[in-house]
Amino acid sequence: MSLSRTVRHAKAILTGFKYLFAGPRLTLMYPDDIQELPEGYRGMIEYDWDSCIKCSLCAMVCPADAMKMYVSKEESEREGKVVKRPGINYTRCIFCGFCVDICPTDSLRFTKVHDVAYYTYEEQIYPPAEFSKGVPRPLYLREPRKVRAVLDERRGIRYEPARS
Amino acid sequence: MDILKLLFEPYIFIPLVFPGLVAAFLLLLIIIWLERKIAAKVQLRYGPLYVFKPLGGVIQTIADLLRYLFQEPIVPREADKLAFLMTPVFLFGLAYLPVVAVPISPTYYAFRSDVSLLIVMALTTLAPIFTVLMGWSSNNKFSLIGGVREGYLVISYEIPMFLSAISMAILYKSLDLVEIAEAQKGLWGVILNPLAAINMLLLMYMSTSKFPFEIPEAESEIVAGPYTEYSGIIYGLVMGASYVKLYVLSLVYSILFLGGWNPLPINDPMVAGAMLFVKAFLLVALGAFLRAVYPRFRIDQAISIGWKIAFPLSLISVVISLLLIMGGVSLVVK
Repeated sequence: MSLSRTVRHAKAILTGFKYLFAGPRLTLMYPDDIQELPEGYRGMIEYDWDSCIKCSLCAMVCPADAMKMYVSKEESEREGKVVKRPGINYTRCIFCGFCVDICPTDSLRFTKVHDVAYYTYEEQIYPPAEFSKGVPRPLYLREPRKVRAVLDERRGIRYEPARS
Repeated sequence: MDILKLLFEPYIFIPLVFPGLVAAFLLLLIIIWLERKIAAKVQLRYGPLYVFKPLGGVIQTIADLLRYLFQEPIVPREADKLAFLMTPVFLFGLAYLPVVAVPISPTYYAFRSDVSLLIVMALTTLAPIFTVLMGWSSNNKFSLIGGVREGYLVISYEIPMFLSAISMAILYKSLDLVEIAEAQKGLWGVILNPLAAINMLLLMYMSTSKFPFEIPEAESEIVAGPYTEYSGIIYGLVMGASYVKLYVLSLVYSILFLGGWNPLPINDPMVAGAMLFVKAFLLVALGAFLRAVYPRFRIDQAISIGWKIAFPLSLISVVISLLLIMGGVSLVVK
């Protein structure tokens, strides 16, 4: 019994050595390479000010209470009634896509942007005015290479340059 | 000029420069980086990379060290302050102290003693006392559990490790490390008594809590064991101590089993020292590699390995040595 255990130890160490010298690497070298994202990717949400009919369905359906209706002051004064527009809080958003699905005029759309960092909590809350300005562009030091994940029988995941 | 000459006197050079403090420090910087790098490669990752990218992030450890230096060392209010602050210093000091008795060439040593093997082994056993003390002085349950675990491990690895080392001393009929290394001009100890070699390698990693036996620090169970309350540069010291201890034990192991500085192309102390250092470095690197292979043993598994496997094996290796001596293997240098 002890002998078979010793053999198993030796096998484990040999496997380790195999990967040490011949193993593949699965890391996506992120800031230099970025993965090409599929259609329908659920990134940050962009908002179209003009086509919005202010129905507040998005705020109603939001399961995380991220989408909220804000009173739009100028519009309310101009039209003489309370006008509300949606704003989003990315500290709460779970990117489920319910708001995008339910929007009757497609005023809310997903973008493929997901790699944005913030310094403060408050920056992540977008009232309607900021929300309609579109999503922030991630800042790269160099222009990143777009890569595509390919499943490989032998190596697992491989990244190769995307054809665009 | 006199100062430079003084520096190269063996009794200064060995403890302070090579294989002592400076070499241990350099090895520490490289091996911690290498450990992360090896673990990353085995786990299909890259490991530290962006601090000096052309060499694969080799100065990552220096960046970490700088961070430790500027981090605030926090002493818990309820801790025994003197013990808490002094133990890391003693731990690190005692971890590298045995190096004074390690010769780096047939002619270059800090001091030559008939019992230098015993001196080295005895000095290495002092460090665990301070690990236990550290666990007690932090006044933290995780530290205490870690310290007690270290205590359990110490009693289970120390006796077999001594017996394995002594079996080689029996084989070479000497406790002098210089004579032991010189006796291996032809056959290395690892070929003569492979059982003792494997046994001592195992116990060496056990004594420095390398990975299968990383029980006192068990990160996922007891935070960082005895080191839980430490921060800043004193944490750097305690973290370095186990690597330095492994380095010192690797030097001794290389002398006992891997021929020391043999084969020696030219009889120059620096060449011999480099030869010894490379062997020790490979042993430390092997310990770092095991981290990527093994999960952690439970404390009872480790102790049963110590008493039920390593202890009988060490007795058998003593018997093998005795049989070899009686069989007339004459290796001892005249």
